[in-house]
Amino acid sequence: MSTTDGPTLIPDAESAKDQIDRETARGTHTKSGRLQVFGEWWNRRTRPQQWALLLIVVALAYMLPIINPPIITTEPGNDWPIACFQMALYALVAVGLNVVVGYAGLLDLGYVAFFAVGSYTAASLTSPDSTFLHIPYLWTVPVAMAVTMFFGVVLGVPTLRLRGDYLAIVTLGFGEIVRILATIIPAFKGQVGFQNVGHPPGGTAANPIFSNSNGTPWYWLVLTIIILVLLLVGNLERSRVGRAWVAIREDEDAAEIMGVPVFKYKVWAFAIGAAIGGLSGSLAAGQVGFVNNQKFDIVTSMLFLAAVVLGGAGNKVGAIIGGVIVAYLPLRFTAIAPYKYLIFGLALVIIMIFRARGILSARQKLLAYGSSSYERVTPNNEQPNASEPTA
Amino acid sequence: MTPLLELKNVDVRYGRIEAIRDMSFAVNEGEIVSLIGANGAGKSTTMKTISGILNPHSGSIHFEGEDITKMKAHIRVVRGISQAPEGRGVFPGMTVMENLDMGSYGRKDRSGMKADFERVFALFPRLAERKSQMGGTMSGGEQQMLAIGRALMSAPRMLLLDEPSMGLAPQFIKQIFSIISEINQQGTTILLVEQNANQALARADRGFVLETGSITHRGTGKELLTNPAVKEAYLGIG
Repeated sequence: MSTTDGPTLIPDAESAKDQIDRETARGTHTKSGRLQVFGEWWNRRTRPQQWALLLIVVALAYMLPIINPPIITTEPGNDWPIACFQMALYALVAVGLNVVVGYAGLLDLGYVAFFAVGSYTAASLTSPDSTFLHIPYLWTVPVAMAVTMFFGVVLGVPTLRLRGDYLAIVTLGFGEIVRILATIIPAFKGQVGFQNVGHPPGGTAANPIFSNSNGTPWYWLVLTIIILVLLLVGNLERSRVGRAWVAIREDEDAAEIMGVPVFKYKVWAFAIGAAIGGLSGSLAAGQVGFVNNQKFDIVTSMLFLAAVVLGGAGNKVGAIIGGVIVAYLPLRFTAIAPYKYLIFGLALVIIMIFRARGILSARQKLLAYGSSSYERVTPNNEQPNASEPTA
Repeated sequence: MTPLLELKNVDVRYGRIEAIRDMSFAVNEGEIVSLIGANGAGKSTTMKTISGILNPHSGSIHFEGEDITKMKAHIRVVRGISQAPEGRGVFPGMTVMENLDMGSYGRKDRSGMKADFERVFALFPRLAERKSQMGGTMSGGEQQMLAIGRALMSAPRMLLLDEPSMGLAPQFIKQIFSIISEINQQGTTILLVEQNANQALARADRGFVLETGSITHRGTGKELLTNPAVKEAYLGIG
């Protein structure tokens, strides 16, 4: 409320909220322009209206591999349904990493390790090349999540007492350790890897629904999982856990003296992030059908991180957009694919200069619980008594 | 009567550096107690040790007669020790409302929280005006109000204030101190750490002077204000 406006009477909570929304939008207007206007508009819709609009978006998303829109399509360079699958996969990874980096503010430079653990879990439990116990592919998905969650806790408990740079270095090291272990432990078969990783049931043995060459069912599977994960993460975000994460990200010490069990919630963020990483890893292993020690390098970790930062750390929709962009660009413009790291590096620099909070900033989300806590107190306290200026 | 807070022979170290040496003092229910001292005397270290961010190397801390030396910081908040940290520690990306909301994080009683929102807004009308403003975009004085208001949101029995006057204009300092007195009159015990000895001692029931990690003078606020040694060192009168 600017002081020059003089006393403003706010008759009820609803219009008070509108007022806040408008002012927040006005305050940041110059920087974010159209997206902010959209966000403002979106916040003014009722819940059912938002759901209806979301339903349309989701329906379009499901149609994506079938529509194969011209210009946007990655063909002839890359198969479009498989490209869709990869975009969805990166989006899922970004959603997971966003829990760690975006919500709790823990810089994880070795996230690919969890992806790798998930891939290896799925591969070693289904591939005929593996000497381990064999279980149906779909069972490997929860197993992969449990295993990576366990790794997340094992890595998190000793290292999450560290802060900022130290944590980043340790996670970087962890990423490398996992990759090197996959190379040197004979059971994981190094570069030879595991062939014929399992897939979900359906179709005939010779012609399965979830084949390696048909991306569409895989895309639908991942998209469905993304929606489930988003519902879960969205609920966490609005819960006490989410508020604790944001507080930790903003100021760890202050969070602790507010009564937030900081260490516990950091481990939780790490474990949940790890589980989603493992989930994506197991899905990737199933679709590709082959897992070896390549592609789990630091650079891939950086690409994941780029997706989150590009999209807007702390915003789950931003993370999805970031993941999709990072996966899509090299697939669509095959000519630039060899330079993708250069291009994403530049993109990050440019984003940091012009839009430091990413394409969608975390702010929209915070407003949600801001207005809810506002509602909680407003009914008996509707008068923001405009007192005389104090300073 | 058992004191509300008691430190017994507390030693705090940063590695091999002793920041606080053999410190013992008590704060009784309903008091305002001021800790004054120069930079590096160990004032903030004392505060962080009481709130639980730092662990003492030896000695013990008691709250309401219970040994809380090993208790984690976030549990101490629920027990009734709340801190407005040095440098304010306001969450910059949260609005005033969200900051205050975080202050009540450890609580479950909705009705009590609502009453405390109202109490904070009554103490700091400025915060009510700025409900939806980001913590990070407020002025220093407003951030200080927010930090104190946020600390009150946990309905503390004891409020720790670490240099509430730091970096504020003289007129603002006066206002903050009178609000501190008001909070105390409403029944909250206050431990205040200050470099602004004059104001801090004038408001305090009792005071301690800290020098390089030990208490060198103790007495009522008035006694310390008139103590020649204290006057010379901290009040700029000699």
